[in-house]
Amino acid sequence: MFCIIAFVVLSIIGIFNVSYRELAKEAYDCVFRRITRRPCNTGFKEKMKAKLVGKVLNHSTIIAKFLNKNFELLSWVLFLATIGSIFWTGKGLFNFYMYGSCNGLNKSGFCALDPKGENNKVSSAGGSCGTGEGDESKVTLENVNLDIFPTQNTDSKDTVVLIGCYSCDYTRKAYPLIKKLISENKVNYIFAHYPVKEETLYLLPIGYCAYKQDKNKYWQLNDKLFDNSKEDIAKKEFVDNLLKDVGYDVNSINSCVVSTETNLAVVERRIELEKTNIYGTPLIFINGKGLVGPKPYRVYERMVKGW
Amino acid sequence: MDLTKIRSDFPILSNQGIYFDNACQSLRPQQVIDAITEYYREYPACGGRSMHHLAAKVTQKCDEARQTIANFVNAKTKEEIIFTRNTTEGINLVAHSLGFKKGDIVITTDKEHNSNLIPWQILKEKIGIKHIILPSKIDNTFDTENFKKVLNNDKVKLVSLGFTSNLDGVTIPAKEIVEIAHRAGVLVLLDGAQAVPHQKIDVQELDIDFLAFSGHKMLGPSGTGVLYGKYKLLEKLEPFLVGGDTVSESTYTSHKFLSPPEKFEAGLQDYAGIIGLGEAVKYINKVGYEFIQKQELLLNKYITSELQNISGLKVIGPSDSEKRGGIVSFYIPNKDHHQIAIMLDETAKIMVRSGQHCVHSWFNAKNIKGSVRASFYFYNTMEEAEIFVRELKKICFVL
Repeated sequence: MFCIIAFVVLSIIGIFNVSYRELAKEAYDCVFRRITRRPCNTGFKEKMKAKLVGKVLNHSTIIAKFLNKNFELLSWVLFLATIGSIFWTGKGLFNFYMYGSCNGLNKSGFCALDPKGENNKVSSAGGSCGTGEGDESKVTLENVNLDIFPTQNTDSKDTVVLIGCYSCDYTRKAYPLIKKLISENKVNYIFAHYPVKEETLYLLPIGYCAYKQDKNKYWQLNDKLFDNSKEDIAKKEFVDNLLKDVGYDVNSINSCVVSTETNLAVVERRIELEKTNIYGTPLIFINGKGLVGPKPYRVYERMVKGW
Repeated sequence: MDLTKIRSDFPILSNQGIYFDNACQSLRPQQVIDAITEYYREYPACGGRSMHHLAAKVTQKCDEARQTIANFVNAKTKEEIIFTRNTTEGINLVAHSLGFKKGDIVITTDKEHNSNLIPWQILKEKIGIKHIILPSKIDNTFDTENFKKVLNNDKVKLVSLGFTSNLDGVTIPAKEIVEIAHRAGVLVLLDGAQAVPHQKIDVQELDIDFLAFSGHKMLGPSGTGVLYGKYKLLEKLEPFLVGGDTVSESTYTSHKFLSPPEKFEAGLQDYAGIIGLGEAVKYINKVGYEFIQKQELLLNKYITSELQNISGLKVIGPSDSEKRGGIVSFYIPNKDHHQIAIMLDETAKIMVRSGQHCVHSWFNAKNIKGSVRASFYFYNTMEEAEIFVRELKKICFVL
């Protein structure tokens, strides 16, 4: 059993250090002989055992004796730990490829391939940027009326829903990827503004009114709001200019914004979005599957295209 | 002799741990290293061939080395000294040059190094000589009485024996053996690899016919060795390796060999090694065999007495350390000798040899897997011996 462990470990170390390659070859020879039901005649195990026990002996006679006596048992333990480690490493790699996180979809634990957890970060509904506190397993589109949100309907079987905030860094990171996704794939696309910061709260009625007045221009406005800086879009005058640039009648929009009907519509949309159990942005649903935080593009694409 | 001063001559001793593998190869003092580098730096030319001044220098230096070695073993002339690569080559030279015929008998003991075993096995297969293996006594010492009995056969042509065994350090009674053999009209070849570095050998006093030894076990460069032979015998031997520098002239169909030693030294020689070996002999002369043997026996006595306290440990050879020179070879049944050696290296950088030490035949016959061999030389200290014992005891406790 020790030979198998040694072969795996020495092979990995041997990639970086040539002096371990010969030992790895010896270990391989030993493994091969074991597989072919022949005795390992290189003395590899004894040699390595002596080296390991010798090193331990420099520190503790008792531990060295224990190691020597239980070498085979410890080899088994190490073997099982290695198998477990390989399994979990494989699972982590699989999860990272599939969901952008080693820990699985929307799981925010440590991931060596994404050590800062960027792929799971959201701007929390409380207003501060960072990892949101919430239960990612509860995010859902069940009972959510998506018909009231801006939609680009392509009659596709695939639907992408982006719930984001214009002033959220992570939504801003995800937005170009979603744009790319919907431009490269035939999908239905729904955008819902869910402001997590007060400075862009005022954009809720503006968005409602803009979509109501001209659906095509709305998407241009949406792009511009994400393209420009967070500081700029926090200023009403700046957004008025954006509306003007896109071709909206600013006065008409402003009149719409203060109407009771708009106010009710905004509240209605907020209530609908709360049903998703959202706790931060971006929250993206692809064919009903919720993705919390900005994932790598491959994750979005695979969910649309499949394998 | 000042041991500290001696040790300061060996650069490697300052930082490489405890070297107890001297039976395999000794360390080299700075003087030998300097002599070798001097050759490559100042006169890196051919010897005995070219006429230019560098070649003359090489020839002179090699002649000096040959003379030094001849004096060292008290050969009658320096022409009795043939440079070889090692003891193995020296023994093979005799084996292949002495003109063995079918039915000739060669006697060895049961604990010869492979270099003094395999050549006779080959001759047995190829020519049909008879190889008699003389069993040692129960304590692994030479059985002189039995030797006399097997000599009682006029077909015996050669007695080829290890002078000092690399297995257990036991030295045979060479003078007595040679006398007995010569009385029976039999030649004697001694494998002096483990003897010449550790005790004064006077080939004339012992009346040895052939003596092979290695440079690398006596402070000299690796790849150097010597075959001593009585000149009148060397003249009769046919060289088994021939070519460049072995002949005085040749035609397309014939050749005329040079006299010994040249006719046995085919091809370009290891001049740096030969010169280095000469320097090594000078160093041994300077230290003196009295000191060498005293130091080795001191360490062996201490270690042997301490090893007796380790449960189950068996020392190969006589229990009396004085009969084992600078070698302690031991094993512990059911404990792996290689493991012990590796752990000695890991714990305190103690370098020993483990395995069957090229005496597989003896181990196989005794059904012993192998042994750990600690072998000392004059530069080893009592402090090193104490560390060795301490670490070995720890290891035996753990295993």
